[in-house]
Amino acid sequence: MESGRRHPNYVKIWVWLLGLMAAGLVATLTPGGHAIGIIVIFATATAKALLVALNYMHLRFEPRLICVIALVPVVFALILAIALFPDFVFRR
Amino acid sequence: MSTSVEAPAIPGMPAGKVGVWWFLASEIMMFGGLIASYMVFRLGSSGWHEASAHVSVALGAVNTLILLTSSLTVVQAFAAAERENAPALRLFLGLTILGGLGFLGIKAIEYTTEIRAGFTPGAGIFWSFYYTMTGLHALHVLAGIVLNAILFLAARVRTPRRVELAGLYWHFVDVVWIFLFPLLYLS
Repeated sequence: MESGRRHPNYVKIWVWLLGLMAAGLVATLTPGGHAIGIIVIFATATAKALLVALNYMHLRFEPRLICVIALVPVVFALILAIALFPDFVFRR
Repeated sequence: MSTSVEAPAIPGMPAGKVGVWWFLASEIMMFGGLIASYMVFRLGSSGWHEASAHVSVALGAVNTLILLTSSLTVVQAFAAAERENAPALRLFLGLTILGGLGFLGIKAIEYTTEIRAGFTPGAGIFWSFYYTMTGLHALHVLAGIVLNAILFLAARVRTPRRVELAGLYWHFVDVVWIFLFPLLYLS
């Protein structure tokens, strides 16, 4: 971000972060629906991470190449998980 | 003798910021590899939920709250630095440092309680991952505290660029915790 150009409403973002954190905690109490609870927990975590990256780290204002630098290792980590997945999960 | 200005790696982007993002990319690979290994191991065997039931969700949630709030204070420090408001810069950097110290204090309480209960790093694979991931993360928090403390002491010289770069690192530490909390405490 160019200095002095854009500052989103940081407090509003923080309130959203706290709301998402509360939603994730409430999801742990979900009766009977463990899978749904897990999905909600990780969906809220991903949303929080995106809010921080886009607004506090200003990725939404940065050149696309910076976003690529940030995203490529995430993709590699996912590839690693997918590549390892059959080896451990289906090993008997 | 010729003088030349170094061309930015990305047009309009200071080289320092590009460097920090490259550094963060390597950090993402390191934590990403750890998290990917944890998930694959966890999906491939049983007994993890029982082990993770012994960590304190309440303390983990308080630490999440602290780190999310410290992300707010460090970005407010950057905004203050841009306005050249040194008192506000010092205030927000100080709050960020306090948040980091609070996080480490709570983590120390957790470790003490868990180790006294017999949950050492050798108590099982969950605990090995738990201490590796949270320990590595705590070291990053410590490094962030040192960075912010240096900026706090130099706050009078008004260096918004440095505050921004240190803030990027602090936010990254926050993002890592955002994923460690559900992985280790909530699932």
